[in-house]
Amino acid sequence: MTTTIGEAIGFWILGPVALAGGLGMVFSRNAVHSALWLVLTMLSLGVIYMLQAAPFLGFTQIIVYTGAIMMLFVFVLMMVGRDASDSVVEVLRGQRVAAAVLGIGLAGLMIGAVAQSVGVPLAAGAPSGSNVGGLGLLVFQRYLLAFELTSALIITGAVGAMVYTFAGRAKSKAITQKERVAERLRGPLEKFGSRSGPGVFATADSVATPALLPDGSVAPESLSAIIEATARERLGHATELSRPGDEHDTAAHSHHAERGEIQGSQT
Amino acid sequence: MNPLPPPGTPGYTQALLADDPIWLTIVKVVVVFALLLVMTLFMIWLERRVVGRMQQRPGPNWNGPFGLLQSLADGLKLAFKEDIRPVLADKAVFFIAPVISTIPAFVAFAVIPLGPEVSIFGHHTALQVADLPVGILVVLACSSVGVYGIVLSGWASGSPYPLLGSLRSAAQVISYELALGLSIIAVVLYAGSLSTADIVSAQQNGWYIWLLPVSFIVFAISMVGETNRAPFDLPEAESELVGGFHTEYSSLKFALFFLAEYVNMVTLSAVATTLFLGGWMAPWPLSLIPGVNSGWLPVVWFISKMFVFLFVYIWLRGTLPRQRYDQFMRLGWKILIPVSLVWIVAVATLRVLRNQYGTISAPVVLMVGAVVLVVAIVVALMLPDRAADDDDAGSEPPVVGTYPVPPLDLTVPTSPPKRRRAVSRGPAPETAAVGSGQKEDA
Amino acid sequence: MQGSAGLTAYVPLIVMFVLAGGFALFSVTAAPYIGPRRYNRAKLDTYECGIEPSPQPVVGGGRVPVAYYLTAMLFILFDIEMVFLYPFVINIDALGLFGLVEIVLFIGTVAFAYAYVWRRGGLDWT
Repeated sequence: MTTTIGEAIGFWILGPVALAGGLGMVFSRNAVHSALWLVLTMLSLGVIYMLQAAPFLGFTQIIVYTGAIMMLFVFVLMMVGRDASDSVVEVLRGQRVAAAVLGIGLAGLMIGAVAQSVGVPLAAGAPSGSNVGGLGLLVFQRYLLAFELTSALIITGAVGAMVYTFAGRAKSKAITQKERVAERLRGPLEKFGSRSGPGVFATADSVATPALLPDGSVAPESLSAIIEATARERLGHATELSRPGDEHDTAAHSHHAERGEIQGSQT
Repeated sequence: MNPLPPPGTPGYTQALLADDPIWLTIVKVVVVFALLLVMTLFMIWLERRVVGRMQQRPGPNWNGPFGLLQSLADGLKLAFKEDIRPVLADKAVFFIAPVISTIPAFVAFAVIPLGPEVSIFGHHTALQVADLPVGILVVLACSSVGVYGIVLSGWASGSPYPLLGSLRSAAQVISYELALGLSIIAVVLYAGSLSTADIVSAQQNGWYIWLLPVSFIVFAISMVGETNRAPFDLPEAESELVGGFHTEYSSLKFALFFLAEYVNMVTLSAVATTLFLGGWMAPWPLSLIPGVNSGWLPVVWFISKMFVFLFVYIWLRGTLPRQRYDQFMRLGWKILIPVSLVWIVAVATLRVLRNQYGTISAPVVLMVGAVVLVVAIVVALMLPDRAADDDDAGSEPPVVGTYPVPPLDLTVPTSPPKRRRAVSRGPAPETAAVGSGQKEDA
Repeated sequence: MQGSAGLTAYVPLIVMFVLAGGFALFSVTAAPYIGPRRYNRAKLDTYECGIEPSPQPVVGGGRVPVAYYLTAMLFILFDIEMVFLYPFVINIDALGLFGLVEIVLFIGTVAFAYAYVWRRGGLDWT
């Protein structure tokens, strides 16, 4: 089997893309960006497999690696938080040295393997019949034991996932919707949710509408710091005089509660 | 060039398509692309009209005949809206996410056979953009890549609602993709091929919906979950998450998400047609007429069958309330997946036994049934017990403070006949249905 | 169907990819130039239904429920199972009874893991 033109073109396009994905993954500062670069690498590998007349392997690569495994990575990275970045502190002693040694060793092994395979003639053509058919016969007849061992791997994966995620969690009975409703109806008054006082009057319920104090002036706490429509030059200059501006920001924590009270009292 | 295998055998369409000149390929791709765009516009209009009818109001009827141009007007309007990127957003990912979600939606439709062999400008070809030996896997691969668009859009927005929506959506799509993939397996077993064209031609003597009803039901349910549509539209639940993953998107980026959702709907409907309803073949009474399954006519059958699914999508949206998330995940993981697995084992067993013993005798069927029953009982014994509910405790009306609380078992009296008549008389004005689930008033 | 004849089957997919990608990229790039730009700081802030945005997104900077991780992990396991089933059903006639026993063993083993996860409550969302 020789390389066809289409295969060559595909390789020279996808090879650099896969390589760029790998480099991008290593050099990205953001963890999710790293994962995305890796997704790019996986995708181009999948397409390279298709070019090598292994469509089933190619699509499996996309479905399993891109769709499932990388999705797990993305979930985990989201779990860690979006601003997480690599720490420069060495947690394990000698970790870097060990990583360097193992990395160089792995590179040596791979170079050796590739160098050995250069002179070896390729397998004599594809198996007869369709790609999936030939693959299925090989998996289910010749590599039977390896296939069955995969299921042991799957069990290990499931147990491991359960141990990691459910460690220490007591098995509690799930609360049904009915129980939730009953609890809410019987519970203390605060659980009823928001209650508007009788006769509340407001021209609008937008944040852009400032609340008024009992004497009719604008409540400075209700002015939003970021909405230009309620800028102090328009509505708040009276309050600016009465109150220093930076007090607005310190009051921001108790903002919502206070505003609710003010609006409630405005009958 | 390879010699063509005889028509009707596996691989015929592949060989036929391999001879396509490049201009024909480009023409087909452009036509399919345009078809999907038009279908999206039409589906939005149809959905609003049909849901409108179901809610006793006319729906959009102002722009163009029957309001047909409404979605075009909406789309154009979206293009002239301000493109907003929140300050907290991750610039690059926020930019690329709509693209990631759009491309797979279109690519997946390429493997759908729209019709049999025809002649275009004197060139014999099949009415299909691409036929791969692993065609049906393209659909699965595209849907697993399409999830990234949703996940990344939610993450990149840097805002709580989109992030929650995208997480929900990702978990939902991957869960239902399993059920989807498992339900296809029985079809592949009978067709003996993963190529979509071969699956259609294998249904010459009977559609798989009759042969494999369980697979069909699982597929039909999971395709609604896969496209994030009502009653499984939890990622964009308006009442909980504002707009879900696309809350922070506006302008054409938002339009792309919308487009991807509708193209996905069309694609999955087309896949369901291909797998279970015989693709482009004519339905039964019509199929008796000779010549009805050749030439350009089958496209009509295909599109009509596809619209059956699309109408059901709309119907579901107009009828069913949104599911709760735990109910939804329970349906996927505890019902659809085990049912599919048991079904696959049953179908495979039947197939092998029939091959081994020619016809299947009654004792064999009884034996198989007994084995299945034993397995089912063992599985049932393994299931956790549910604690008995204490229903009686909730019967007396609760009294909380000074607030009047209705009793829990309050029966609402029926409205007086006069008002009922007023409601059922004629379509109400459109303003009467504000907030009734019309989410695309974009 | 090897070599170039096999590769031409992908050409339509590539054309479709390029067309859809070009369309999407064009839309995304053109959007800021077509639409108006009226600066307003509130507009660029996180949308939280009108209340002022919490300083850090509740979940973005915080945590995601661990159940999502479990779902993704289980998805990998079942995806692998599914991928093995495709070559099996294609070859079901060639493999015969032996293949059937093999696949039932496989599915049974995976079902064992599945039952374990179910019993431990890994499939429950509370």
